[in-house]
Amino acid sequence: MEYTTEILGLYPTWYQPALGSGWVLGIIAVIHVLASHTSVGAALVSTWLATVAVRRNRPELLEYVRRYGVFLLVFSYVLGSITGPGIWFSATVASPRGLSALIHSYVWWWATEWVFFFIEVVGIYLLVYLAGKVDGRSYLKIAWIFGLASWATMLIIVGILSFMMWPGQARWFTEGGTLNGFFGPYTFAQILSRTCFMLMAAALAGGLIAAYIRDGAFRLEMTRKLAWVGMLSAVLGAVFFQWGLTTLPESAQLLMKTRLPGSFVPTMWAILTEIVIYFAALLLRPGALNVPLAAGMMTALLIFGIWPEERARESMRKPYVAGQFVYSNQIIARDVPALGVKSELPALESRGMLALHPFIPERLRRIGEGNELEAGHALAIVYCSNCHGLGTTGTRPFGEMFAGNRDAADIERFIKGALVTGNMVNMPRVPLRDGEAHALAQFIASLPLWHSITR
Amino acid sequence: MDIETLYALRSSSGLPSHPAIFLVLLVLTWTLHMIAVHVMLGSTALALTGAFSSSPNWRRLAGPMLDTAKVAVSLAIVIGVAPLLFVQVIYDPFWYVSNVLSARWAIAFIVVLLVAYWAMYHHYFVGKEGGSATSRWSLAVSLALLLVAGFIMHALTSQALRPELWMAWYAPEGHLETAGSGIHEFNLGRYLFFIVLAAPVTGAWLLGCRRYLDCREPRDAPYLDWIAGLGNKLMTAGGFAALICYATWMATLPDSAAGFPVSLWSIAANASILLLIVTPAWFRSASGGYGPFAAAAGAVLLIAIAREALRHRILFGTHGYELSTYPVNLDWYSNALFCLTFAGVGGFAIAYSLAISWEAGKAPGVYTASPRVDRLGGFALAALLVWIAQYFFFGFLVMTR
Repeated sequence: MEYTTEILGLYPTWYQPALGSGWVLGIIAVIHVLASHTSVGAALVSTWLATVAVRRNRPELLEYVRRYGVFLLVFSYVLGSITGPGIWFSATVASPRGLSALIHSYVWWWATEWVFFFIEVVGIYLLVYLAGKVDGRSYLKIAWIFGLASWATMLIIVGILSFMMWPGQARWFTEGGTLNGFFGPYTFAQILSRTCFMLMAAALAGGLIAAYIRDGAFRLEMTRKLAWVGMLSAVLGAVFFQWGLTTLPESAQLLMKTRLPGSFVPTMWAILTEIVIYFAALLLRPGALNVPLAAGMMTALLIFGIWPEERARESMRKPYVAGQFVYSNQIIARDVPALGVKSELPALESRGMLALHPFIPERLRRIGEGNELEAGHALAIVYCSNCHGLGTTGTRPFGEMFAGNRDAADIERFIKGALVTGNMVNMPRVPLRDGEAHALAQFIASLPLWHSITR
Repeated sequence: MDIETLYALRSSSGLPSHPAIFLVLLVLTWTLHMIAVHVMLGSTALALTGAFSSSPNWRRLAGPMLDTAKVAVSLAIVIGVAPLLFVQVIYDPFWYVSNVLSARWAIAFIVVLLVAYWAMYHHYFVGKEGGSATSRWSLAVSLALLLVAGFIMHALTSQALRPELWMAWYAPEGHLETAGSGIHEFNLGRYLFFIVLAAPVTGAWLLGCRRYLDCREPRDAPYLDWIAGLGNKLMTAGGFAALICYATWMATLPDSAAGFPVSLWSIAANASILLLIVTPAWFRSASGGYGPFAAAAGAVLLIAIAREALRHRILFGTHGYELSTYPVNLDWYSNALFCLTFAGVGGFAIAYSLAISWEAGKAPGVYTASPRVDRLGGFALAALLVWIAQYFFFGFLVMTR
């Protein structure tokens, strides 16, 4: 069937050779996860502590809540509130169509989250500045509004993250409706596991503040309280996380088993065990808590817990980046009848990327003598650069692919056998026409030369 | 880029509501964002002036202005999320392309803002009482970086309005340039206009502060009068400066906006700047008041509408991009979810937060909420609980269907 589409809605590509655009997004996202998880968990912990402080008339506990709030303002809210839009900015430049697909479906949910976010930010200021300045009943209201609004932001984002992995209900493709895309078993498993991990992160961060308490007895009491919260939430979070894994679709399970580095599962268990041992040790010897220890544990959580977990989540939805219909290289790869969305693969198969991409220079639209390498480069930029470095740097660089083989014919055979047909489970189908496959293979084979010219 | 390409770049997922709704929300939330930005820039500049000044009044003003700046940055960021969301929904072809073409700057925006915010906190913790030598400079760094962040946003918006140049920027002489390292378009007049507006808006803010502090510190009349005088000066002089910047901006508009400077929208923008200039005299605000700030907010809203009209003039008038033709896939639930959350949960919670902080700020000792304020808090809490209940109710309903 000959498709007559003149142009596809593909955006220009940002190619980041040192890290790869995906890693730039990943780094910002991981920092955001630490800050936002800590702030939501801390909001819930603060609500609980403020309730105890007011009910039992304990001004020292109220002062702890205030100081914890100041720490949150400087750390979580500055970092979290800037890296939140930061994820949008980095996703905008790394994966514009993926983000666009999410935003166009879930704009009202995000706008709703914004309402809660606004309440939360106002709430943290009130919690800090009105501590001891308003009556107890009012302070409790402020604390509970703050805590619940903060948790509501998580409830919303979890549904959108679930959709990124897989629309909650299969009928979403045919019936549409954000509710169908939002709610699935994975959504609820994530709510439970993330809430627990947020509380765990808050207990770790709370230790930083507790370490500064001068009153010895109160310091020990707070350390024990936080240790209980941290240990229980770490254990429960792990249980809910395991449950969450069972709710994932088969393809995600397969990718997790086959594509994640072998160190992933042991690393996750190691960091969890370390955190549980840390909290258990604090229960036995609360006097051992100090600032470097608490800060070290937070850093360990970021590097050995959140980073691999986020990377795994990213890997498991491959080759898609959103809702199982947008590839990571921007191409719409599946019909979504409910939204009138059509797969672009048939058009690309029929006409080719060089003809249909609006941001391909006219001189590269037809492959001929003198432009083959540059056309191959353009195809690599569009089809591959979101996940591969086009030289020897970045993620999964081409320079290290194909076991060092630079035979253009071999590479072309691989492209036609595995990529054009879509036979690789974690990679998008790349429907190159013959001339395009040849040009891409020539470009990859010429990489050492090309790299030295363009470096 | 021809119009077919611009339409092709629209999200194939369509919109869950009519685009006009997003357009209105974009203008309204952008207005609120800019008010916070103007107060943020103005109060930071005043805190910085106070930190370096030997005048007792200036040094005294520096403390509350730093507090104001700190909260204003927070609010500017939080409120800014909304127009960022809405611009991506209805102007996605323009916003996304512009960002990708200057990707490094879009990423740098985050880092710049982060350092600016922390530098401000550094001054807050280290040198709140007048400022130490180093912390004063960290406040200067903060202000400079906030201006850089504003410039990046300005450039991204300007580039979005030049689709006819995108290809030349992305593939100069036919070769792909994918580093995203360049700033391709800016208009100094436009940028300065939005920065200079901080002066009259902050002036109006100071007049409000004068009125508010009157209840708490009535015996400090000379200092409070000095604040009012400063507010009046900022409004008038800042308004004149904004008028000059606006004229510069209009004189340097690209051909695609031909005719806009003499349009009704532009006249309305000019009138709103004049409103800022005459506000001190109009309100006879020697002793402060809340009216000038309301007038300033109204002026920013008019300017926001004119700014949107200019975008429409360029995108529709020159390129034929019609917003109303965006495909709509109506989603009733999420439409209702936002409206009810905004009006119910947000309305009660923000009204309660404002009421209690306003009252507590005026009370000299521990403030006990009046029954009305307390009831407002009860409604806010109840609305939140209902919201969470409906979330799980609809979740289980979908799961069991």
